[in-house]
Amino acid sequence: MTHAEEPARRGVLNWLLGLWGGGVLASIVYPVARYLAPPDIPEAAALSTNAGSAQALAPNSGRVVPFGARPAIVIRTPAGELRAFSATCTHLDCTVQYRPDLQRIWCACHNGEYDLNGRNVAGPPPRPLDPYDANVTGDEIVITRRA
Amino acid sequence: MTDGRWRAWIDERFPLDDVLESLRHKRVPHHRYSIWYYFGGMTLFLFLIQVGTGALLLLYYRPSATEAYESVQFIVSRVPFGWLVRSIHAWAANLMVASAFAHLFSVLFLHAYRRPRELTWISGFLLLLLTLGFGFTGYLLPWNEVSFFATRVGTDIAATVPVVGEGLLRFLRGGDDVTGATLTRLFGFHVAVLPAVATALVAFHLLLVQRHGMSVPPSIEQRAADPGTVRSIPFLPHFLLRDLFAWTAVLAALAALATFFPWELGAKADPFAPAPAGIRPEWYFLWAFETLKHVPPTVAGLSGEVVAVAAMGLGALAALLLPLLAGESPRARSVVVWAGAAALLFLSVMTGLALRAAAP
Amino acid sequence: MTTVRWCDGAMVRRCARQCVVQRCALVACLLLAADARAQTTADAAAAAFKDDVHAAAGLACSACHRSAAAGMYDAPARTATAPLCATCHGDAAYMRKFDPQLRVDQFAQYRTSGHGKRMEAGDGRVATCNDCHGAHGVRRVRDARSPVAPLNVVATCGRCHGDAARMALFGRQATAPEEWSASVHAAALVKRGDTSAPTCVSCHGSHGATPPGVASVANVCAQCHLREAELFRASPKRDIFEALGQAECLVCHGNHRIESPPDSWVGVQEGAVCTQCHDATGDSGAAIVDIRRRLDGLQAALSAADAILTRAEHAGMLVDEGRLALQTAREHQVQSRALVHAFAAAPFAKTADEGLAAARRAHEAGEAAMRELQVRRQGLGVATLLVLAFLVTLWAKIRRLPPA
Repeated sequence: MTHAEEPARRGVLNWLLGLWGGGVLASIVYPVARYLAPPDIPEAAALSTNAGSAQALAPNSGRVVPFGARPAIVIRTPAGELRAFSATCTHLDCTVQYRPDLQRIWCACHNGEYDLNGRNVAGPPPRPLDPYDANVTGDEIVITRRA
Repeated sequence: MTDGRWRAWIDERFPLDDVLESLRHKRVPHHRYSIWYYFGGMTLFLFLIQVGTGALLLLYYRPSATEAYESVQFIVSRVPFGWLVRSIHAWAANLMVASAFAHLFSVLFLHAYRRPRELTWISGFLLLLLTLGFGFTGYLLPWNEVSFFATRVGTDIAATVPVVGEGLLRFLRGGDDVTGATLTRLFGFHVAVLPAVATALVAFHLLLVQRHGMSVPPSIEQRAADPGTVRSIPFLPHFLLRDLFAWTAVLAALAALATFFPWELGAKADPFAPAPAGIRPEWYFLWAFETLKHVPPTVAGLSGEVVAVAAMGLGALAALLLPLLAGESPRARSVVVWAGAAALLFLSVMTGLALRAAAP
Repeated sequence: MTTVRWCDGAMVRRCARQCVVQRCALVACLLLAADARAQTTADAAAAAFKDDVHAAAGLACSACHRSAAAGMYDAPARTATAPLCATCHGDAAYMRKFDPQLRVDQFAQYRTSGHGKRMEAGDGRVATCNDCHGAHGVRRVRDARSPVAPLNVVATCGRCHGDAARMALFGRQATAPEEWSASVHAAALVKRGDTSAPTCVSCHGSHGATPPGVASVANVCAQCHLREAELFRASPKRDIFEALGQAECLVCHGNHRIESPPDSWVGVQEGAVCTQCHDATGDSGAAIVDIRRRLDGLQAALSAADAILTRAEHAGMLVDEGRLALQTAREHQVQSRALVHAFAAAPFAKTADEGLAAARRAHEAGEAAMRELQVRRQGLGVATLLVLAFLVTLWAKIRRLPPA
């Protein structure tokens, strides 16, 4: 190797070092930048979730909505009051529904019935449904888990 | 030249040239034990990673019993690259503890704590304790089952400290039991109190390292014909590039660990559920956990747990004050080596026993 | 009037001795030899009575041992037991004093039961009040220690109905309790502790115990399985079964050993319950085959979705949405299995298809998670290559640094 080649080789080495170093930096900066950009869903639905329009929920009817990884049921009593419960039946984890004819929350799997306060009143369910808070902001029903 | 103008502008306001000049003259001894010089820098690098990823996690994390778990779940499932940031934070914490321990024992065995580096050792030991504190306070923050019960057990140990135990327990837990109050409290320590203290101590530690340079082990010093002629390499760029090499390699290892072994989140903590089987602290507390299991209920009329905790406290105090306790003679140095080896053996055996008990 | 409120052990022993004295000397001698045993029996009765619901209500020995005033503590005749209990338990005005909610129709029901009819005919071998409730330690039914509490009642009935020798006298089988123990109902009661799970009395009644008639089986099962019963009653099967004299639910599900019905019961191959009447020919055969195909398809889709979601979870991915969809699919599976009881292809197919769609969504979520995992690993691969290239170049650079 001649002395003339040495600085040229070092130049290539530095250039390569810069290139790869830039690549390494980019693979750090890219995830961080993506992380910093606000995600599509801005926050965890840990404590509350939107359960749709309050107007659209007529008295003596109910609606099942996802709340985290589990379903919740929001009902409007015949008297017009909004109430929300966990929609997972306490018997065998089926999803309950509102039965306007019975005016009760009803589980189709084994005919379990809960009253409008979520209490297990007929059939096999061993426990009442977990109650949630239901509030209205604007026209949106917001279900909140009780801390 | 523009570059020169900028340099002049800065130099007028900040003595950059002086700093660069001193760095240019800084040299690092080069001998067969020099590999151990890199663990201090590695610990610092991992600390910086923790600061960075910790700050990122703070953007989405919520420190309350009702939301902590869900927010961590949100980070790892909904935030782009949140899984990576969280797993790197968790893995780097573990590597940092390991690296800090390696640094401590290398300094011990190479006798780098000798005069005039006593304060470097003491500040370093305090930094190790802070690192463990970071680990302990950070462990609870995801508010999952294992961390909840491990924190309950871990804080229980504080209660065995004589006289102030009860008060200490209540101080750590923010009440009588581990609750949401404990979470906010430990969160405060983890992201504010400990980082503030650690940053100050790191600065002090680095200043001292800068002031005294790297210590040359006595054995190398003796072998060299003249103590002044130990081989050395320039800090810039020789040592720093090697540092950079090690840091980049560790960064790649962290990314691989985070991708292939993402840190588990587990189930949300339920304070009213019975403790699941196999609850144990992080691996770097296992030795203490195992020791407490093996002490007899009473030792010389005192509660065995109290005796063990007191012994650990004394051990830590002795380690903290090691440079002041150990003399300059070669005999004293060999005592330090044996004591250090015994401590390392004790820690390894206890950790090994705990891991074996945990394995199915 | 003096009433003895409590019969302690000593007093019961004294009563027992008086009995002995009033008999002739020879018999007395023989009985005296057995006095020790009589004493223990008397002691046991006295001890048990302390914890008796009647003692708590303030009743004494004489309430049932009517000749106690004369020192006679003989057990009432078996055929006379139920009428004796009914003197109070059939008297609404009297029972109201203790608990206004207590029922007073037990004796009336008992007289309609298999037990009661035989007993009234003078056959003392069948069960009467104290055989199930106990004599001196009677407890409320809701007391978990009561022999007729949900967890104990099968063993109580089983003392006779599980005893082959005893049942042989009546020309009956003694297999029911054992069969029930292998049923889903037993599992719900014993393993899950669901005290609303059916035991003997839920289907047969307690005081009016008798096998449900052919026509009333569906009514009995419908206490819990209302959806299936409604579907069945609305289906053409109801009339057909009635015409054939078949006992509705029992035709396919059996009676005591109710098992979780596998999908393989539907079909025209061996082991399928439909083959009792159907074969592969005709429209019905085709409908059965179609229902089975959809059931199997749904189950396969569920298993596949669960498998991929589990794999994604083990790899550290969170697949909440997939789990939610899988839960929906499971519910549709439960409902479609219920809809089999409509014995018609259309309503069943709709629900089964919805379940299948949900299972596919779950599967897609799992696949998306696995793809994401792949993307992560590829990204890591690229980054690692960059790092390796950087490290190699850096190492070369370090090696080429001018000597110190």
